Amino acid sequence: MKKTILFLSVSLAATTLFAQKLTTTSATIVFDATTSKDALPKAENKTVIAAIDTQTGTIAFEAIMKSFTFSNPTIQEHFNQEKWLNTDLYPTSSFKGKVTNLPNINFQLDGNYPAEVEGELTLHGKTQLVKTTGTIVVEGKKVTASAEFTIKLLDFGVNESAFTSGKVASEPKITVIAELN
Amino acid sequence: MKSWQKKIFFLILVLLLAGIAGVWYVFNEKFTDIAETKALYTVNASDLINEFQKDGALANKKYAEKVITVKGTVSEVEKADTIVNIKFSDSATRGFIIFAFQQKNVVDARRLKEGDNISIKGSCSGGAYSEILETYFITFKRCALTK
Repeated sequence: MKKTILFLSVSLAATTLFAQKLTTTSATIVFDATTSKDALPKAENKTVIAAIDTQTGTIAFEAIMKSFTFSNPTIQEHFNQEKWLNTDLYPTSSFKGKVTNLPNINFQLDGNYPAEVEGELTLHGKTQLVKTTGTIVVEGKKVTASAEFTIKLLDFGVNESAFTSGKVASEPKITVIAELN
Repeated sequence: MKSWQKKIFFLILVLLLAGIAGVWYVFNEKFTDIAETKALYTVNASDLINEFQKDGALANKKYAEKVITVKGTVSEVEKADTIVNIKFSDSATRGFIIFAFQQKNVVDARRLKEGDNISIKGSCSGGAYSEILETYFITFKRCALTK
């Protein structure tokens, strides 16, 4: 009897926790490696999976690399090439982290909340710690999370020759926006 | 100028112009409208999802960066700000295909409803297993409705 109660309580707790998980499969990530010499290396991925757990503050993102869309076909090809991001070998990129100032965010109250996020970004097969500030906007049942930060391509094992010409930024700007519900 | 000097001068000029034309061409290059691009494969949504779930690596090799036409039933019209993505899902496994439309065709995506039987043509970005959603997903870019 005790075991049954325990089992049911744990299951209920787990279900409750799961119910706090908000997701989207249409988050957007913009990869901006433009420089003063070249305005072309900028891509958008509009089919990114994102999730936030409003109880624990955990945040996660998953992007299929080949869905980063450039306006220029040649740049699109280079981005995916072996000596750049080698997307045949590393088809996805992901982020696993948490909102470190969770007590400052009230998911039950509409408003704009500054968020501090920390986590691990995996790109090109390498994982690095990323710390950034962002914003969480609560509007009823909808939560919009957004952030902007830069990364060092060298830290992710991208060959230096890819950006020494000055046409591609060695520290591209990453912009993330997710409407979760 | 001597005759041979003239020839060298013209050769350099031609090469220079060719070089400039080449750079200008690459710089201004845009993707062909997907409506005018021929699809390499035409598949059913459920067959495509099954193929990826059976052997993701093989399916990625076959379909990634290829223009594919997928026939299916709209399971979700997902809107986020100005973005409208269309999804075909497999109810048994919750695996899904998600299509991001070309800018000029977003208006068509916006008009779709759950349950619509349609064909979408686009560039397949391949598939992966989502640890977040615990299911397989396949993404497409530069899509448009097609017959």
